[in-house]
Amino acid sequence: MMKRLQTSTWVYLLIAFVLMLLPFVKDDRWFLFLMIQIFVFAIFAMSYDLLLGYTGIVSFGHAMFFGIGAYSVAVTMSRLDSTFSSFLLGVVVAVIISGIVAFLAGVLTLKLKSHYYAMLTLALAGMFLYIAERWRSVTGGNDGFTFRIPELPGVLQDHRNVVIYLFTLLSMVLLFFGMKRLTESPLGRVLVGIRENDQRVESLGFRIMPYKVLISVVSGVIAALAGVLYAVSLRFVNTQVFDIEVTLDALLMTIIGGVGTLVGPILGSAIMNLSHHFLSDLASVHWIFQRWVILFGIIFILVVIFFPNGIVGTIQKKMHERKMKQRVKQVEKQSAKN
Amino acid sequence: MELFINLAINGIAMGMLIFLIASGLTLIFGLMSVLNFAHGGLFAWGAYSGVFFYVLLDNFWLGLLGAIVTGLLLGWLTELLIVRPVYGNHIRQILITLGFMLVLTEMLKVVFGPNIINAPTPEMFQGSWMIGDITIIKYRAFIIAVGLILFIVMYSVLKYSKIGLIVRAGVMNKDMIQALGVNIKLVFVLVFMVGSALAALGGALFAPSSGAIYAEMGLEFGIFAFIVVIIGGMGSIPGSLLAALLVGLANTFTAYYMPILSMVVTMIIMLIVLIFRPQGLFNISGVSNK
Repeated sequence: MMKRLQTSTWVYLLIAFVLMLLPFVKDDRWFLFLMIQIFVFAIFAMSYDLLLGYTGIVSFGHAMFFGIGAYSVAVTMSRLDSTFSSFLLGVVVAVIISGIVAFLAGVLTLKLKSHYYAMLTLALAGMFLYIAERWRSVTGGNDGFTFRIPELPGVLQDHRNVVIYLFTLLSMVLLFFGMKRLTESPLGRVLVGIRENDQRVESLGFRIMPYKVLISVVSGVIAALAGVLYAVSLRFVNTQVFDIEVTLDALLMTIIGGVGTLVGPILGSAIMNLSHHFLSDLASVHWIFQRWVILFGIIFILVVIFFPNGIVGTIQKKMHERKMKQRVKQVEKQSAKN
Repeated sequence: MELFINLAINGIAMGMLIFLIASGLTLIFGLMSVLNFAHGGLFAWGAYSGVFFYVLLDNFWLGLLGAIVTGLLLGWLTELLIVRPVYGNHIRQILITLGFMLVLTEMLKVVFGPNIINAPTPEMFQGSWMIGDITIIKYRAFIIAVGLILFIVMYSVLKYSKIGLIVRAGVMNKDMIQALGVNIKLVFVLVFMVGSALAALGGALFAPSSGAIYAEMGLEFGIFAFIVVIIGGMGSIPGSLLAALLVGLANTFTAYYMPILSMVVTMIIMLIVLIFRPQGLFNISGVSNK
């Protein structure tokens, strides 16, 4: 078991290393931008996976944490000065606000059925969008505002995107391993137990609520960090960060990639961003590509019915089954010898 | 005082519209324990098809009928293709109906175009009555009347007829009802179709009162309906009516006196209800919220 874990870790590190070298091979602005988007949304979708995949909580308001993160850093950096200390202050503000919101939403509704959490988060996110639209003096409304990010000494203007690329990649890798560690810890096991059978977990002596609230806070804070990276990578923010579509993106990425796998959301983010990019280009070929959400909606429905484990989950299951079969064969062979 | 009464009438009319969407939602949830996130999409489809048939046939009533038929058909399709594979699994129900909501909204844009469409008010309901200083817009009075009639019909059917008894018993113990010779599957399909038709009718009635319809209205009003169902108590028809009126009135009054609060006030009501009475104002026995 230990050895298999290590090989997968090595594979992930190798992929991260290759991704790290990419901008030095292909220094194309649009390509870098697309990759940064993939990384940012991968973090966001992974935070969603903590709720949906590991604990079995459906949130429809994850965009509010994303928006809180994006606006926290954008407002602090445009109001103060664009230095690293104000960036860090923005991150701290993002963590605190998103943590409080996630805590309150969790305490109020997580003891109820899953519908209530889904609906309350949907309504709360709607409220955040509404407030952001109205509070134009701070948020800039739908037009949004641009802000400057700190200059790096010794880095040319042209290479700034490479630095942001490496920064988001590093954040994604660190958060990925952090979350992987969390889900493999005893705490993560309890969460999976809650997903599978919460009454059983309760009868084993665990109090469910603190666990659910805790993971809701962790997930919210990580989503806010994704929002921070999003705002910094664009150097621009508007009220679209609170849009329901942001939540839907995370949902689609997680479901298509594979719930409860953490790698799945990363793959889902890559698929969604790439196909969004290329299908929009195809819009001139046929109008259906302009309405690409239909295609994704249908794929989403089919995945939920036929492949509830998503891409990564289905592959893992197949591999596991094969391994079990081989083991059964081995045992049979040995018993035949005896 | 006149202003107060005018605002109250507007609020009640808005509440009745919300009640029409919410009642379908609470019917499907309360009777079948299925939470349909695509419900708002059915509302939007009702609005579009209502306007389409009204303009095409030049008859308001045929427009409403067209919307109801659309709702029945879409409800049947939803039950058959989307909900039936995932009965009993709440999380997958939520996910799959949300996916269907996306498809419904985008399909509206494909069929009717992505632009905002004008919705005409029928001639017989144009204008208003003046009683002293109180203005009653005819169409709003019509909506209130329709809402009240539907409430009374639904309430009495569920409470006193055999149908209501069968559906309520079917949810409590499906197998037992099946063994007693009732085709409970068919009953569930019918409930789903009626709930969807209610949403579609709500959409068709809403269109002339707002004057314009757009594809995203499904999601907006879907959220309203969910809030109302939470406040009123899942599965309770009187609860939905009361909560819808409360939300409608609160919205209209704050929109007049404190416009900035008009959206937030609904959320505040919901939060207060969730903190002090999480099962909702009314809660029929047999539907647990834990």
